[in-house]
Amino acid sequence: MGTKLGSWLDERLGWRQVWDAIFLRKIPKVNWFYTLGSASLFVTVNQLITGILLTIYYVPTPDHAYDSVMFITTQVPAGWLIRGLHHWGASAMVILVILHMLRVILYGGYKYPREVTWFTGVILLIVVIGFGFSGYLLPWDQKAYWATTVGTRIAGTPPIIGDWILRIMRGGEELSAVTLARFFGGHVWILPSILLLLIGIHLYLVIRNGISAVPKRGE
Amino acid sequence: MSEDENVSRRSFLGILTGAIGGLISLGFAIPGVAYIIGPAFISASNKEWISLGSTAKVEPGTPTLFKVKVQRQSGWIVDEEEISAYVLTDDGRNFIAMSNVCTHLGCHVRWISENGQFFCPCHNAVFDKQGNVVSGPPPTPLNRYETKIDNDQLFILGG
Repeated sequence: MGTKLGSWLDERLGWRQVWDAIFLRKIPKVNWFYTLGSASLFVTVNQLITGILLTIYYVPTPDHAYDSVMFITTQVPAGWLIRGLHHWGASAMVILVILHMLRVILYGGYKYPREVTWFTGVILLIVVIGFGFSGYLLPWDQKAYWATTVGTRIAGTPPIIGDWILRIMRGGEELSAVTLARFFGGHVWILPSILLLLIGIHLYLVIRNGISAVPKRGE
Repeated sequence: MSEDENVSRRSFLGILTGAIGGLISLGFAIPGVAYIIGPAFISASNKEWISLGSTAKVEPGTPTLFKVKVQRQSGWIVDEEEISAYVLTDDGRNFIAMSNVCTHLGCHVRWISENGQFFCPCHNAVFDKQGNVVSGPPPTPLNRYETKIDNDQLFILGG
């Protein structure tokens, strides 16, 4: 029954070819460091699921943000777990993508023909850091408020354009409701859109070009 | 590999991967569902005894309207809400406290003293002074609060 339905669908969708291309592709003999990309992807999925769940109760305004986060953590069943997974997943994601990048650097995985995979990866790293920075403000507690005050001030240090950058990030001169709302919008709409698009390209290229082998001495 | 072994290393690993993936998915799905539906089943407030004031304020023989403010928790917001109760007594010792919420669709009923009846403006429901349905669509009499008297103070159980 299952295989019959599978064949019926395959005849119309050609999904087996896609499945084989993704999961049954040939790879060189590699080591565990080559799983860091998959680990990053796994944590990304975790962040997507738990992040979507958090938006069900979270409200990004100064008078509700902190209380709604406390409501999630203390009142909603499994809310502590969902928030905890998102919180710790965020740190894990930054660590994993950096380790993943180090593996690519140290094994020379960025070389021909995988340069574009590397470029998309570099932008992905910046996007992940953007997630971390914007997400840090959202609980709207003292730590969040002052970290963003300092962070946006640092972004405002370049000469000439600095003040302009700071104003755009804060949505005004001071940290305010506008800052919280735009950090939230960026965190749940703009950054995820960029992230998913880039991951799509990144993974397509990984499959298209195959993964690099562990380099040998003298290569 | 022994002869009676008919699961290849490849398919064993495939099954194992699927099983682990399934467990992880359940690990997300179960808390996820609890998280989404959970607050729907947290009751809005705990019932407690609310003081309406001195029993002397109740006019014997005619429902007297009392309005009290109660704290109501909705999500992370605590709101002050006014609840109204009509209190009826004939002898000054036994009290009936009725909700002013119509049992039909939740509009507020009013005591019309000329007619000696409660009237609901939404669908013309009429209740007598005990809260029993006289005419109109309501399926049941007006809800009653539990009452108690402590030191000549009248309390209703609500929230």
